[in-house]
Amino acid sequence: MIDELDKKVIGLVQGDLPLNPRPFAAMAEEIGITEREFIERVSDLKKRGIIRRFGATLRHQEAGFSSNAMIAWCVPDARIDKVGKTLAEFREVTHCYQRKPQKDWKYNLYTMVHGNNRDECCQIADRMSRAAAINDYVLLFSEKEFRKTSMEYF
Amino acid sequence: MDNTDKKILNEIQSHFPISSRPFHELGKRLALPESDVLERIRRLKEDGIIRRIGGNFHSNQLNFTSTLCAARVPKEKIEHFVKTVNHYPGVTHNYLRNHAYNIWFTFIAQDMAYIDDALEEISEKTGIREILNLPAVKTFKIKVDFEV
Repeated sequence: MIDELDKKVIGLVQGDLPLNPRPFAAMAEEIGITEREFIERVSDLKKRGIIRRFGATLRHQEAGFSSNAMIAWCVPDARIDKVGKTLAEFREVTHCYQRKPQKDWKYNLYTMVHGNNRDECCQIADRMSRAAAINDYVLLFSEKEFRKTSMEYF
Repeated sequence: MDNTDKKILNEIQSHFPISSRPFHELGKRLALPESDVLERIRRLKEDGIIRRIGGNFHSNQLNFTSTLCAARVPKEKIEHFVKTVNHYPGVTHNYLRNHAYNIWFTFIAQDMAYIDDALEEISEKTGIREILNLPAVKTFKIKVDFEV
C-alpha cells in the first residue's frame, strides 16, 4: 500500500531529477519533508518493487541503437511459457510479454529488440526463431515516433 | 561521447545512488570530481542522450493497468488519429510501424474500463474502428538499460 506522502514523492520522482549536488534535498523541500525522509521513502518504494528501476532513461537512438523492432510471435498455447523464457534470455531483448490474441490478430507473444540497423534486427529475429523453434512471426519496425514519455501517475 | 561518458551512462541507468549527494558518490565510483560528473550529465542531457533521471514504476503495483493497442489507420487519417490518441495523458508511447496495423501505442490508466471507454471515444472521433487492445497476460522480461 502507498500513502499520501508516497504519492507526493512519486509525483516528483516520476519526473526529472534536478541536476544539482543535492537533488533529493531540493525535491524534499518542495513537499515540506526532510531530505532524509525523502531518501528513505524513495529507497523503500524501490525495495518494495513499486519503483522497478531508479536512474537515467536514455534516448536509445541518440545512444547508438538506431533501430527498434517489435517482433510478434504466434506460439501454440502449450509452449508459450517455454518459448517466452527462451526469447527473454536474448541479450538484445528488452521486453517480452504474453498478450491475448484478438480478432484478426493471432500473435500472442511480443518481444522488443534493439539493434544498430534493420538488418541486424532481422538477424536477431532469425536467431530467436531458431532457438525457440517458432517460424510464425512478424517484425514491426518503428518508422516514426509520435510520443515517448513517462507516465504521470499522481 | 568519450569513454568516461559511456561509463557514466552505464552506471546511472540502474545503479543511480539514492543518497544525499548522488553525483559525489558516482564520482567516487568512477574516480571523478562531483562537479565533472554533474557537468557531463548536464551535457548528455543537452545533447538528448539522457531523456530523464528518475523512477520507473510497476504501474500495476500502483493500482494502474496498462495495455498495448494497435490500429489500422489509412495514411490520410494518421495525423488526426495520432493527435486524438495522444490527447490522453495515459498514452506514453506511440509509433508508426510497417504493417497494416500501423499505429501502435501504449496506454496506462486506473482501470481497463477507462481504456475501453477511451478507445470507443477514439473510434467515434476518428472513424477508425479497427483498434486492438492487447493487455499483457504475463511478463517474461523488462530490461531497459543499454550498455553503451
